[in-house]
Amino acid sequence: MRFMVIVKASRDSEAGVMPGTELLAAMGKFNEEMVRAGIMQAGEGLHPTAKGARVKYSAAQPAVSLGPFNFNSDLVAGFWLIQTKSLDEAIDWMKRAPFGGGAEIEIRQVFSPEDFGEALTPELRERGIRLRAEIEKK
Amino acid sequence: MRFMMLMIPAGYETAAPDALPSVEAVTAMMKYNEALKEAGVLITLDGLLPPSTGARVSFAGGKPVVTDGPFTESKEVIGGYWMIEVTSREEAIAWAKRCPASSNEVIEIRQVHEMADFPPELQQAAAGFGELQGKPGR
Repeated sequence: MRFMVIVKASRDSEAGVMPGTELLAAMGKFNEEMVRAGIMQAGEGLHPTAKGARVKYSAAQPAVSLGPFNFNSDLVAGFWLIQTKSLDEAIDWMKRAPFGGGAEIEIRQVFSPEDFGEALTPELRERGIRLRAEIEKK
Repeated sequence: MRFMMLMIPAGYETAAPDALPSVEAVTAMMKYNEALKEAGVLITLDGLLPPSTGARVSFAGGKPVVTDGPFTESKEVIGGYWMIEVTSREEAIAWAKRCPASSNEVIEIRQVHEMADFPPELQQAAAGFGELQGKPGR
């Protein structure tokens, strides 16, 4: 099973405060452990919402608003993509992440084609597989 | 520049564990995904199962505390994402505007940190991170 681990924004991450060398080194070590265990597939940090934008959809034109967005605990600062056998295994790994006080992460399973049931017609499934194969070729 | 387009569907925070998109929605989205791919901007994409199937780990006080989903205090949650490579935030916004999203959905556009964004001493502390992910140079 694949999981996305969403790292929530903090006031510091939204203010553009970069992590210090110590935290980066600890995270680097944690990442190395996950890679060696065959768990980690990707991991990225995002610039603050000040450099971002939102697009809201309606029947008319999509409406664009530029960041920063009001701070709340739902904003995202980064993510990992990991592969484990269960949600519990994902949780166990993430409990070891070298976060200080106040940090929060959210662990969410990633859809795979078989999760969609009949909504994913054979034709759509085929197109999805083709799309992924072409992305990975790049 | 890499940007993450985060799909935020209103109501997904309380969606049932087995909630799925309709065939029509998936078909329209596949067409959009293929357009992104054909333009050479699509790096990867994923959909996430509802938060009711997920978990959160918070590190208040430095000790991990696990909470199972759904997360009742959340006002917005991520439903999926695209990772794209474009030359500006404006180009990312232009792509987001073309998404066949419905009126309950918002796409948030966020720039991804590249190694070059970090000062030299932090780059050194994080050395080898790109190779860890099997993506040298990122």
